[in-house]
Amino acid sequence: MSQAAYFQVEQVSFSIAETKILKEISLEIGAGEQVAMIGPSGAGKTSLLRVLCGGVTPNSGTVKLDGETYLKNGAQGGPSLRSLRSKVGFVHQDHALVPNLRVVQNVVAGKFGQRGFWNSLRSLIQPVQRDQEEVFALLERVGIGEKMFHRVDSLSGGQQQRAAIARALFQHPEALLADEPVASVDPARAQAVLNLLISISRERGLTLAVSLHDPSLALDLFPRVIGLREGRVHFDLPSCQVSEKMLGELYRLEE
Amino acid sequence: MRRSLVLISIGLLGFIGYWSLGLELGQILPRGQGFQIARDFLSAAFTPALDYEAEFVPAGSPSFLWVIGNGFQRTVIFAGAALSLALILGLPLAVLASGLVPTSIRIPTRLFIAGMRSVHELLWAVVFLAAFGLNSAGAIIAIAIPYAGTLAKVFSEMLDEAPQRSYQALIGAGASRSQAFFGALLPTAGPDMAAYAFYRFECALRSSAVLGFFGYPTLGYYLRQSFENLHYREVWTCLYAILFAVLILETWSGKLRRRLVA
Repeated sequence: MSQAAYFQVEQVSFSIAETKILKEISLEIGAGEQVAMIGPSGAGKTSLLRVLCGGVTPNSGTVKLDGETYLKNGAQGGPSLRSLRSKVGFVHQDHALVPNLRVVQNVVAGKFGQRGFWNSLRSLIQPVQRDQEEVFALLERVGIGEKMFHRVDSLSGGQQQRAAIARALFQHPEALLADEPVASVDPARAQAVLNLLISISRERGLTLAVSLHDPSLALDLFPRVIGLREGRVHFDLPSCQVSEKMLGELYRLEE
Repeated sequence: MRRSLVLISIGLLGFIGYWSLGLELGQILPRGQGFQIARDFLSAAFTPALDYEAEFVPAGSPSFLWVIGNGFQRTVIFAGAALSLALILGLPLAVLASGLVPTSIRIPTRLFIAGMRSVHELLWAVVFLAAFGLNSAGAIIAIAIPYAGTLAKVFSEMLDEAPQRSYQALIGAGASRSQAFFGALLPTAGPDMAAYAFYRFECALRSSAVLGFFGYPTLGYYLRQSFENLHYREVWTCLYAILFAVLILETWSGKLRRRLVA
């Protein structure tokens, strides 16, 4: 790979209770690269994304972010975990917004990791002019500028997702992760959301990793596709090299 | 199996209770003189007093409605002061009694707030009355202590039961736990907590009125006086004043709830 690695995952295993979700996974994602992760339900796509963002600590293995180790051998190491977490924006599948707050309040919360306690509290109550302008610009970019002062629960599912994207961007991240961003939208809108994520990442030079159910969308839109199955990397290839046979193998049902 | 055991135990307890108290349903029907009193009292409900019922009223006494209005105002002020103090004490205690803090803090806090709740506000009032004499601070603190305990218990449960997704998402984006608490968890649980606080305000109004029986200048003071003088129409005026306060509160909280939820 030509770019410097942004995410470096080495021999990472992760279990929830007794169930092994990730089994000694190793992979690298270059800075500014755009990657889709595909695979059947339970393959470990969401867990891998959560490991990348520092949301869960793996049982063993090392995760490096931009050369800095932040998760190591089941312990949290390296410099401040909080400051590393704030470098990675995450768009959750269920959006994880506060439904009874306004869109602007949800978006400013994206920058809490870089702000002191009183500053963040004040931004929640009355964001300063500069924050308001930036939030509005981001909401315009994702297409819901007019919803800035609406409550989140008055928005449609697709609009809420765009608010969640704006929150992740307000964080000024270096990487953007999205977990099943098209799980609950129709095919036409799915393409639009993915194109939005791709073009925003390109504009801002962000590393983008997205998990997807639908392999055809991944192959159409992303230059690199990682197939996950039963907690292991099944294939990791440029999308033009992924064959029908490989996909069949990836999604094969157990006898 | 276990469920039926619980149900049988409850039924058994009820039966033992009836038997040991020697309850007879016939006893709750008024008899003789009692019947007359009950009838006088209930019929007074339709004609609440607008003026003193006493034959002799000293010259220069304020009008009856003015006195009741004053009592009404003090009842609301006592309740408001007590509840705001209870909220100031109860909110931090709720956090310390919730799953957000380690068990070593949570368990002692829960014991402490159970202690606050186990003594009724009227008992606290009696204690403070004996200790400090008839003083408004005593009445307010007497209500605030058990109310803070109840708010802390219920608020901590609401915080524990509120959806954690947005809270976790902010932590995942680098926020500290306290930032994520104010940015996500508190707003998520907020509407339920506000609704419960309003209900407790209603309870505080009743408690504050009843404290008048001990001599504090709330509606209960006049209610007791009128009752002892058998001025049932005056009693009903006091009861309607309390009802009025509760209805105002109900309207207000209904409006606020619609704003918070819709």
